[in-house]
Amino acid sequence: MGWYRRLWNTARPGRTARDLDRELAFHVTERADELRAAGMSAAEAQRLARAQFGNYTSQVERTRDMDINGLVDGTLRNLRLAGRAMAKSPVFAVTVVVTLALGIGANSAVWAAIDAILLRPLPFPESDQLVNVKQAHPKVPTPVHGARPARGMEPLNNTFQAISGSYVQDDSETSGELPERLTRAFVAPRFLKVWGISPLLRPGLQCRGGKVRWSGSAPDQRPVLAPALRRRPNVVGKTLRIGRRSYPIIGVLPSAFRFPNRDVDLWSTAPMDAPFAQGRELTWFNAVGRLRPGVTPAQANANLATVQAGIAAQFPKTDGPIRAVVTPLKESTVAAVSRSLWMLFGSVSLLLSIACTNIAALLLSRAAGRRHEISVRYSLGASRGSVAAQLLTEVLLLSTMGGLLGIAVANAASAVFRGLAKDLPRVEEIGLDWRVVSYTLACSIAAGLLCGIVPAIRGTRRDLAESMAKAGRSQVASSSPIQFVLVGVQVSLAVTLLTGAGLLLRSFQELGRIAPGFDPERVLTFHVSTSWGETGDPKTAAERQERVLNALRSIPGCGIRRRYGFPARRSRRISDRAEHGRGPRGIGASPRCRSEGGVA
Amino acid sequence: LHGYAITAHVHQVSDQLLRVEEGSLYPALHRMEQDGWIRAEWGMTEKNREARFYSLTAAGRRQLLLEEESWARLTEGVARVIRFA
Repeated sequence: MGWYRRLWNTARPGRTARDLDRELAFHVTERADELRAAGMSAAEAQRLARAQFGNYTSQVERTRDMDINGLVDGTLRNLRLAGRAMAKSPVFAVTVVVTLALGIGANSAVWAAIDAILLRPLPFPESDQLVNVKQAHPKVPTPVHGARPARGMEPLNNTFQAISGSYVQDDSETSGELPERLTRAFVAPRFLKVWGISPLLRPGLQCRGGKVRWSGSAPDQRPVLAPALRRRPNVVGKTLRIGRRSYPIIGVLPSAFRFPNRDVDLWSTAPMDAPFAQGRELTWFNAVGRLRPGVTPAQANANLATVQAGIAAQFPKTDGPIRAVVTPLKESTVAAVSRSLWMLFGSVSLLLSIACTNIAALLLSRAAGRRHEISVRYSLGASRGSVAAQLLTEVLLLSTMGGLLGIAVANAASAVFRGLAKDLPRVEEIGLDWRVVSYTLACSIAAGLLCGIVPAIRGTRRDLAESMAKAGRSQVASSSPIQFVLVGVQVSLAVTLLTGAGLLLRSFQELGRIAPGFDPERVLTFHVSTSWGETGDPKTAAERQERVLNALRSIPGCGIRRRYGFPARRSRRISDRAEHGRGPRGIGASPRCRSEGGVA
Repeated sequence: LHGYAITAHVHQVSDQLLRVEEGSLYPALHRMEQDGWIRAEWGMTEKNREARFYSLTAAGRRQLLLEEESWARLTEGVARVIRFA
């Protein structure tokens, strides 16, 4: 209650002061009356009453201090003074604000990325329960997982709510005038349950327990769940034509849902009983599981190791050497970029500290010009704390303004960041929100303290003020050790940053100079995709690809070689090289695929 | 009562033994007002002058009891110490 009234009184200083004056004046008049009644002259009575009352002004001030909040009052006064000082030297103020805005803005933009990508949980309900389930094979470098083994694990474990997964293939959608390439994910049962998301469904359908129930579609029409298609609005209810089949779109998934990867345009149920999905050695399935509540990834790992041992005993030939590995989904999604993001954050923080030391040096040199003002304040009875607080308030005001401008800079920089770093996971989640804004403000206050504390301490030294008073106005340029230290810090920070950036540029340049082993002039590469369904019948698939390539070869001046994807890298794409130009020309293969024979 | 009346009252009641310094009276009154122990309003004295009149609030009465108690304890303690000496 008391603090509230004091705050209120602080906000209306004029009224409080007037009331106080009336009250104390009444006291003095009343006393004078009494003295006059005792037989004194009017003037004498008034004088004595005043004298008895003591120092009138200091009484008013002491009483006033009871009515107001001293801290707030002092801060307000300091802010007023700081505003006046700023208006007096606008160039200095603008320099500091812009420098800090750039430094803080860059820092906040990177922080926004770190917050969105590394710190915030994935945008799914209880996302810490989501894990990637993989099987590591000693001979295959990347951990992989087959569709059938994944399903086999599900009933045997006791740490998962469900294990599901998906695989991706490119398809041509031919319902429009021109065929359109769509990336399609085939999802295993319980996919929605594992992710804990629900699609926006066509009217008449409902989603219960992560399972969509539909009726009335012919058995060969597998339902399709399209995402909020980035290209077309109102897709629900439309029909896509892929191959020889039609697929009605029965619903859309949230646009934030970008799994198994961000390119996926539509999701449909996987034919888990298709002949091509039966092989135990097939390894193209990305399994995702949801742990039971309270189960840690380590427990799940141990549990799956037992399960895998059981499976290995059953199928020693294919599953014998395989290990099951569980990694939290967030870790496996963002692990690759976490190091470089933190490094980026480190370098923008270095940049900000350079800006701060710069400003601190600037403030120190200005403090020399303000010695006179400060010594006047001292001689008027200001304490060192109050003068330092005022100097610090000036810097804090500047840095807060820099921070506010920095928010605008960060906003623009995040947009640029989103555009430049499209390949980062979760990049679409980067944006300004209250977390980033409060980080920015905290950052600007920290920057203000960092710049202001040394000049505030040094600028308010008593001996300095006294020596100034003696020396009059003659300014002697004394080089202080602090300024040397500041310059040293600044130079070393700058050198660190420059060396890092220089090395990066240099290695980039070197990379560009490495000869690829062939002349990249007039060479195009492209992919011809096959579907997983075709893998059951390799001969027909090869014939189809040959037809495509033959059609391309009929273009004059075009030579084509082709190679299959690396067997070890489970890429099913067939990469072809085409060359345009004057007549056929020999093309060397890149070093990595020299061993792959090309077909001319 | 207004501020001046309080000094006069204390002076009189204590048989001119105690005199309240103005320098402590008004800060104390204002602090107590901010803490909600007393209430102040502007009014007219019998000499038709504007003055600020103070009165005890309920919270102030409670506080007064507490203070009386602690004062009693303090004086008793001091008295005992003095007797002992």
